[in-house]
Amino acid sequence: IKNEVDLQVLHLLGPKTEADLEKKPKVRRRLGTGVGGGENYKTEGYVVTPNTMALLKHHLTVTGGQVRTRFPPEPNGILHIGHAKAINFNFGYAKANGGVCFLRYDDTNPEKEEEKYFTAIREMVEWLGYQPYAVTHASDYFDQLYTWALELIRRGQAYVCHQKVEEIKGHNPPPSPWRDRPVEESLLLFEDMRKGKFGEGEATLRMKLVMEDGKMDPVAYRVKFTPHHRTGDKWCIYPTYDYTHCLCDSIEHITHSLCTKEFQARRSSYFWLCNALDVYCPVQWEYGRLNLLYTVVSKRKIIQLVETGAVRDWDDPRLFTLTALRRRGFPPEAINNFCARVGVTVAQATMEPHLLEACAAPRFLGSVLGPSPQKGQHSPPPSPQALEVLVPNFPADESRGFHKVPFQSTVYIEETDFREEVDKGYKRLAPGQPVGLRHAGYVIAIQNVIKVRGSGGHVIELEVTCTKSDVAEKPKAFIHWVSEPLVCEVRLYERLFLHKNPEDPSEVPGGFLSDLNPDSLRVVRSALVDSSVLSARPFDKFQFERLGYFSVDPDSEEGKMVFNRTVTLKEDPGKA
Amino acid sequence: MDNRAEENEIKLLTAEIERLKNFGCLGVSPSLEGLRDENAKLKYRLNFLQKSLQEERSKTAKSMININSCLQEIFGAAIQAAYPDLENPPLVVTPSQQPKFGDYQCNSAMGITQILLKTKEQKVSPREIAEKISKNIPANECIEKIEIAGPGFINIHLRKDFVSKQLSSLLMNGVQPPAVGKRKKVVVDFSSPNIAKEMHVGHLRSTIIGESMCRLFEFAGYDVLSFGVTKELNHYFIKAWELICDVSRKEFQKIYNCLDITLIERGESFYHEMMKDIVKEFEDKGFVQVDDGRKIVFVPGFPVPLTIMKSDGGYTYDTSDLAALKHRLCEEKADILIYVVDSGQSVHLQTVFAAGQMIGWYDPKVTRVAHAAFGVVLGEDKKKFKTRSGDTVRLIDLLEEGLKRAMDKLRDKERDKVLTAEELKAAQTSVAFGCIKYADLSHNRLNDYVFSFDKMLDDRGNTAAYLLYAFTRIRAIARLANIDEQMLRKAAREEVLILDHEKEWKLGKCILRFPEILQKILDDLLLHTLCDYLYELATTFTEFYDNCYCVEKDRQSGQIVKVNMWRLLLCEATATVMAKGFDILGIKPVQRM
Repeated sequence: IKNEVDLQVLHLLGPKTEADLEKKPKVRRRLGTGVGGGENYKTEGYVVTPNTMALLKHHLTVTGGQVRTRFPPEPNGILHIGHAKAINFNFGYAKANGGVCFLRYDDTNPEKEEEKYFTAIREMVEWLGYQPYAVTHASDYFDQLYTWALELIRRGQAYVCHQKVEEIKGHNPPPSPWRDRPVEESLLLFEDMRKGKFGEGEATLRMKLVMEDGKMDPVAYRVKFTPHHRTGDKWCIYPTYDYTHCLCDSIEHITHSLCTKEFQARRSSYFWLCNALDVYCPVQWEYGRLNLLYTVVSKRKIIQLVETGAVRDWDDPRLFTLTALRRRGFPPEAINNFCARVGVTVAQATMEPHLLEACAAPRFLGSVLGPSPQKGQHSPPPSPQALEVLVPNFPADESRGFHKVPFQSTVYIEETDFREEVDKGYKRLAPGQPVGLRHAGYVIAIQNVIKVRGSGGHVIELEVTCTKSDVAEKPKAFIHWVSEPLVCEVRLYERLFLHKNPEDPSEVPGGFLSDLNPDSLRVVRSALVDSSVLSARPFDKFQFERLGYFSVDPDSEEGKMVFNRTVTLKEDPGKA
Repeated sequence: MDNRAEENEIKLLTAEIERLKNFGCLGVSPSLEGLRDENAKLKYRLNFLQKSLQEERSKTAKSMININSCLQEIFGAAIQAAYPDLENPPLVVTPSQQPKFGDYQCNSAMGITQILLKTKEQKVSPREIAEKISKNIPANECIEKIEIAGPGFINIHLRKDFVSKQLSSLLMNGVQPPAVGKRKKVVVDFSSPNIAKEMHVGHLRSTIIGESMCRLFEFAGYDVLSFGVTKELNHYFIKAWELICDVSRKEFQKIYNCLDITLIERGESFYHEMMKDIVKEFEDKGFVQVDDGRKIVFVPGFPVPLTIMKSDGGYTYDTSDLAALKHRLCEEKADILIYVVDSGQSVHLQTVFAAGQMIGWYDPKVTRVAHAAFGVVLGEDKKKFKTRSGDTVRLIDLLEEGLKRAMDKLRDKERDKVLTAEELKAAQTSVAFGCIKYADLSHNRLNDYVFSFDKMLDDRGNTAAYLLYAFTRIRAIARLANIDEQMLRKAAREEVLILDHEKEWKLGKCILRFPEILQKILDDLLLHTLCDYLYELATTFTEFYDNCYCVEKDRQSGQIVKVNMWRLLLCEATATVMAKGFDILGIKPVQRM
């Protein structure tokens, strides 16, 4: 009951993401008061050049002083809970400050992009309840980026280099011998790169700058003979993340460029590039990356899980991709809520999955017999005719309606709700110990126990008498039940991995694939459920009394519904 | 428990089957995959290099791309690939008249249907042919997509980025002529005033058309020599004659200065010595017949013979024109020879040309010798242009009248109150002489044309007055937005020209048609096409300007709120092309008017 109340409260409070953010003056101060109002230069570490003021003035005429953020996913995989944090933060922050947020696909790498990822990302952003101010692509700006690359060369800030990838990898790579080649030469060679005269890896365009971590001259453009999802066969040189990201932010007049902590090492290059080209420079802010325990989120690893059959697909409810979380039954509010709770602190927020689970606040619906090897139960009819019982949709709040449940002479109860021997502390049905049927208003008492003939002697049926509860002695307990139920499939989930950090070789020497929890999925093929759920659609959510929250799986077919258990009602699902 | 074990077993087996289906069992798979990738990349690169090659070929140095001929090349290749057996298939690519038909159209399919029917007795629908051509279009940088419409029109949509890039290059490099390859020499012959008389209006057309022709060829990268052949009376009383000529020459120069005309004047006497040799050459080769004491030459196909020597031993226009022809071909070594002479001399010139071929001075397949004929100037009464008293109109009087009328017009419009004295004077000259030239050039030279000051000074319609005014207005747009030339140049380098608005797109394409217009004139020598084009450009610009804000201002304060730089660049590109057009027509625009 206590848990139910908690969840109810959570539900009633509704999504509190934006409100949460607003309530955190700390966070707002951290993000700088002048940003968005054209006072970027007041931020610590912001580089001011002779052109800064003019650029900021122009920036203000574009934005009108409005906060602008962007969510910039690479369209090369399915979004996971870590992205949800970025979505929640960017969209949430903009919304809370009367600003706008762009959805910008960072599609600079032509090799990894597929149409399905674009639509899936958009779908997930909208599922989380956000509307992008505009949907843009880094590739929309390829022409501009190219023009700027030429300008960068002309300004002596970039050069064409022929060092091999292996040569510039690792610690202390040798400086490029081409660093000081004449501008004219670089211009010509860059043109040659664009025309396809260099093979892949034979030439790159590099920027003349040293990053925080000591990395020299990051690459701005590289040759790739791969068609691009959106620009087709127009280019054979593609810009890198380092080159593209800040310039796209600049083009879109982003005020707050929010990114995870590992990009802190790239902050100075972010400022450097905008200033090297004399274009508007947004302010970059870093926030802590979200790390989940007992799971993996990387695309490559999920592919391995799918390929080895460890999970069914990208949206297998045991995963923490957003489609998986949706399929498992978590409502978007719960995800947002979780992200807001994790906050934007710079420390690494490491979460155990059950914290996310605790945020779930699904709809509450009447009693259902959960997944159990069923036990037929014959009882003399409670009255000569079959009855219908009214069950509240939300037991804690009867004002939210009732639904009818048939109450026939045969009802089914959980196997575990009957014992032949009574021991101390067991309060439910047993010979000589009647039990109440929840919501029915009747108490049943054992008359006869029918068992399978022979060896084990499983109980298959109980014959009981049925007495109206107002005349019967008050039973020690009430149990849930179903009558004229639907047969359905129920999938019960546990965490996918046995160890907290399945990717950590010290914790799991055999690699994450060796750490799979064999009990992560349990399928109950013929569970019985209250027939009132018959018209439910995929992703509809229910509480099955005493068993947990469930959601209709898209695998459901006519006549065969499939339910996923979102969370149990147990105190600590982590220990279940 | 058993249940679960079985389930796992099933899962493993299913996964295994999937692997096998994908040839997971074959050890070659990873390297095969690698080779496939490699192959795809090589193909991509090949395609890319071909495209780059085409790009480089089509714009050797900084020349503007003639989009039409680019498309012709592409479709020529496609037709060749689709129907390799056809000899000289028709190749028709034209700009589309309506946006729904794309930007250009290729209408060759209809013609090919006819040819297939006639030469091969094959019945193929033009649509089918159009489809086959479409499938064979080679990799290129300019076509976005093509559609087949109606019976077999192929509608061509240009790539936005391609057009945008051409415009940027136009802005960065200025208006450049289409690439012509090796420099060739052109000799233009025009304005043949009788040196003993004053220049009159009859000389006007030759002078104006010839001058413009020279400017066009010069711009197109030719070495141009222009000759004004002064007709002399057919005798040479040397001393007195030279005195008269000096006076005349000074007068001619005045007029040439007014009209901004530069030419080498070469009187017929220059060819006098040569004429002897000409007669000898024709005699030696056995082409000369003597008829009633005259030496005449019959040219096949022409009923009237050339008279190369009169019975008194004197020479004729025929002789001097033959001498001039030979001189230009053999001494000047001209590759192209253009005679800007009135239509009345057509038969005479054709006979001279044919004689030149007959005697072996040139091969028309190698050297182009053309008569750019023109009609006469008529008065507003559609009769020969005369003064009220019936005299021939003196050119200098005409020009002065033009100046007076132009000033009246400017005062009418109260421009004298806005402009400084110098500006007003400059505007007056620009309008007066510009209008006289433009009125002439904007009419098909083959027709007679009616000289009317009222019409040519009208600032509506296809007149120099309208275009000059439009031009100064366009130039003022950036100036009023406080954008100077340097900022424009920087923007041209950095900004991508956006052509998303329908009118931006229309204007962008119109600007880039300049090279194909010039090419057409180089081919047919009809300059009015350029006037028509400039007029179309100006009206297309007006459409653009009416629909697209270049500079956004606050309604109340009039303060500039936003400058749409890419649109200013479109203005600049329009103005640049117009300026070049004016330059070719010999019209001088002014900063303010």
